[in-house]
Amino acid sequence: MNDETVVEARDLVVRYGDFTAVDRVTFTVGRGEIFGFLGANGAGKTTTIRVLCGVLPPTEGRVRVAGTGYEDGENAIKAKVGYMSQKFTLYNDLTVKENLDFIASLRKLDAAYYAKRRQEILELISFKKGLGAFVHELSGGTKQQVSLAAALLHDPEVVFLDEPTAGVTPAGRERFWALIRRVAESGKTVFVTTHYMDEAEQCGRIALMREGKLVAMDSPAGLKAAAFPEQVFEFEPIEELSFSRMTAFQNHEAFAFFEPYGHRFHAAAANAEAWRHWRPELEKTFRIRTIAPSLEDVFIRMVEDRP
Amino acid sequence: MNFVWSRAAAMARKEWFHIRRDPFTMSLALVMPLVMVVIYGVAIDFNVKNVKLAVSDSDQTQASRRLIDTFSSSGYFRVRRDFSPGQALDDLVAERARAALIIPPQFEKNLWSGRTAEAQVLLDGADNSTVVPVSQYVNTIQTLASERIAGADMRPPYDLRTRFLFNPELNSRWFIIPGVVVVIMAILSIFLTAMTVAREWENGSMELLLSTPVEPIEIIVGKALPYASLGALAVVFVYIIARAAFGVPFRGHLWVFGLGCLIFLLTYLAQGLFISIASKQQTLAMQLSMLTGMMPSVILSGFVFPIASMPKFFWYFTMLLPARWFMVISRHCFLEGSSFLELAVPFAALSLSCLAMTALAAHKFKRTLE
Repeated sequence: MNDETVVEARDLVVRYGDFTAVDRVTFTVGRGEIFGFLGANGAGKTTTIRVLCGVLPPTEGRVRVAGTGYEDGENAIKAKVGYMSQKFTLYNDLTVKENLDFIASLRKLDAAYYAKRRQEILELISFKKGLGAFVHELSGGTKQQVSLAAALLHDPEVVFLDEPTAGVTPAGRERFWALIRRVAESGKTVFVTTHYMDEAEQCGRIALMREGKLVAMDSPAGLKAAAFPEQVFEFEPIEELSFSRMTAFQNHEAFAFFEPYGHRFHAAAANAEAWRHWRPELEKTFRIRTIAPSLEDVFIRMVEDRP
Repeated sequence: MNFVWSRAAAMARKEWFHIRRDPFTMSLALVMPLVMVVIYGVAIDFNVKNVKLAVSDSDQTQASRRLIDTFSSSGYFRVRRDFSPGQALDDLVAERARAALIIPPQFEKNLWSGRTAEAQVLLDGADNSTVVPVSQYVNTIQTLASERIAGADMRPPYDLRTRFLFNPELNSRWFIIPGVVVVIMAILSIFLTAMTVAREWENGSMELLLSTPVEPIEIIVGKALPYASLGALAVVFVYIIARAAFGVPFRGHLWVFGLGCLIFLLTYLAQGLFISIASKQQTLAMQLSMLTGMMPSVILSGFVFPIASMPKFFWYFTMLLPARWFMVISRHCFLEGSSFLELAVPFAALSLSCLAMTALAAHKFKRTLE
């Protein structure tokens, strides 16, 4: 990544009637950056992406994407960005070629340019099946890769990926993220939303959204440091805990944070004195280890636990 | 707004791939017109013939036999002999007959002695579809029988002759098939458009389309084109069957009929689009298009039930329905050879519906995208 700003949102507000979906959001994203956008459903992520893709003019605020904005005409932004949504990949009853031809026609790509670019993109995603293959014959992961290829056909400066790996196998997700890194290395800015925290860890920076507001924005390490200035521990129960005991620990005065994490728990002490006092007692019930906080811990603490 | 034909054409091409590969759409587009023409053209016949007539002749004279013979030789009735009036009534009740003729004793004697010779015709009043035409046949046969039995002396003092213009034989197929064109076009255009746009909303692809520079109007035109072509193809198909297989005359101008088809098609495509945008779900879109497109075009357009005999409210209400006006245009073009000027009112009403529905759909589409 270099310092050149490619995406800029300043005091962005989107209202639907009385409901404010995006509330004074400000951020910038640099060229070649993989920028993650995290938040619960309804937090305003998709609305923000729709504004940045040129689909939805903001109610207030200013948006600049790849040097253009709404003031440059309604299609100015659309020409500079690629978009891949979570729900839709490609038309299943069309072949890969028919799908790509369709997108190229909508973007009015020159025939010679399109043929060359299609070849480049298919090599980038290592697409081995023939162009005549029907999309419904492809695996979930390959579909998403071809879908990304369609979003990149017109060589956009920014690609928006809205939960691109939803429903894809772990191996497929890994391959897709390797592809995202290659796209970013080629100088494209990648703006991605995901519910998978291991994917979010791979972003250069992450913005956390809650109820339309941006609650934090930093690198994964920076967010962890900001969310957990105190030490984080993993608690492994020596014996199985009943639900009532687990609830009691969640409200225990020793903890500022105590959340289930698989069969274990991640916790942060309320303060040093309480921790010193309660640790011997807790060790009768748990095996306690010091760990680095995960992004999930950060998300729970910064997004879900806030009143 | 910058309309680009190549983008609309790309949409149309994509839509054509969907149509070609979707068995439901293909069968609806190709088989449905055929099935409807066959059902309405062959199976449904308002000309009631071969009505089973239970006859009880208690007179057994030359005059009574002539009366019965007049019924049987008319071609409308098939006579079934019974031994008593009670048995004839039983046949009617048990639906072995749809009408009964009861000739009392003294029928001939009364006739020659100058008194009125009475015979009774009983009709099944519960079967409304046959009772009206059969009673008309009975009236005609009564006059004919009077002539045959009593000779020229019995002729009435006046001669009221009826001639049916445009459809001299009152062939109900001539009346029905031009109406089938309206129903087929209504179903094809509204159903398929409603489904296709709802599908884009349902699977999220509308969002993707809108993230490209494609304009909403290009999406609409591109989507409508293949279905409009299918609708036009169905009209040609029905026209050929109507002319070749059913001998329905076409006395008007093809361009007037074609223009009517085009405006009607555009109106229902817009209505389908409106439903699609409002519902955003294929199942709901299908139900709504059935309710607002198919039902009015069959029930309230004058296709089967005459608008003139509807209660005042419905009489006015049908004026809002494009199918009512296109029904007039279609029938007049086929049977009456009306010119464009003669059809100015239905054309004006249809065009008004078209403009209103297009404006409504465009407004709703724009609002939804915002």
